Amino acid sequence: MVDLTPRGRVYVVIAAYNEAEVIARVVAGVERDGYQVVVIDDGSRDDTAGAAHAAGATVISHPFNLGQGAALQTGIEYALAQAADVVVTFDADGQHRPADIDRLVAGLAQERVDFVLGSRFLGQSPRLPPLRRLLLRAATVFTRLSTGLQLTDTHNGLRAMTRRGARAIHLRQNRMAHASELLSQIGSSGLRYVERPVTVEYTAYSLAKGQSMRDAIFILLDLFARRLYR
Amino acid sequence: MIAQCILSMLLAGILLYAFIEYRRSPTVSVLAVSAAAAGLYFVWFPSQSTQLAELVGIGRGVDLIIYVWVCISLIVLLNLHLKLRTQMELVTTLARKIALADVRSPPSPAGSQFDLARSDR
Repeated sequence: MVDLTPRGRVYVVIAAYNEAEVIARVVAGVERDGYQVVVIDDGSRDDTAGAAHAAGATVISHPFNLGQGAALQTGIEYALAQAADVVVTFDADGQHRPADIDRLVAGLAQERVDFVLGSRFLGQSPRLPPLRRLLLRAATVFTRLSTGLQLTDTHNGLRAMTRRGARAIHLRQNRMAHASELLSQIGSSGLRYVERPVTVEYTAYSLAKGQSMRDAIFILLDLFARRLYR
Repeated sequence: MIAQCILSMLLAGILLYAFIEYRRSPTVSVLAVSAAAAGLYFVWFPSQSTQLAELVGIGRGVDLIIYVWVCISLIVLLNLHLKLRTQMELVTTLARKIALADVRSPPSPAGSQFDLARSDR
């Protein structure tokens, strides 16, 4: 029997940019399960911060928009400063299920690893459009080639990490390339990781917010620039 | 002769710039040095540039020099882009510090009883 981390010591970090429409529901869903919820309002123009705060989250507001990678890093640093045992990253658009958090956190202890990464391809992802599936597959192959990590889903926003794992993460890619950057830092940290199936629910809202083909090209450019420049 | 001097000065400026930038980004610096050196050579030996231009299939030496210039400009542009990235990292660090200095803790437990049903439209 493995000791489970008390939920109050698990910090769920949610990076949100203009998500006032859905953030309250997402926060309430996670908060109800007893986790510490930290919402990083990334310079939203709408009332994302107010809605998240009213729903029971700790809210940290960036003075202006910096990007999801920067917001996650802010959340991770805050959680570490609060002596979190486990840090979970969770998407703000409502595509993740709070119930999956428990399975990821349990996975850390059961598998004795520092990272448990959610994978929509091990789990069920209803209504994943074919083009999106293709794009995600391509990203997976790219990550395998560049970081050596054997993963089935490289751009899943639902992850759990131990305190030690979180301390190995220093995201410098502010924009969307942070997902690949995070994986490459896991790879170079030498810490252990596993994947766990999670369910990603595609709604019209989350699809409109998700990464497009154009973003994919920018991600590639960003990662390429990083190679040139240490 | 006047044009050659002016061009040489400009190219020497690029060389100097590349040397200064070496520590920051060796790749960019080496590329800039080779391009500027080639440029300098052809400014003073135009006939050579014409020969070389013909060899690679460009009509005149002048055209070749223009192309070299275009290359240098692109390299400088790339370097500028990388510098901007560094600036952005500094800005991010600063913004993060400001954000973390003003954390809004959750309201009283009553506030956390968010009515799920009501937010469903």
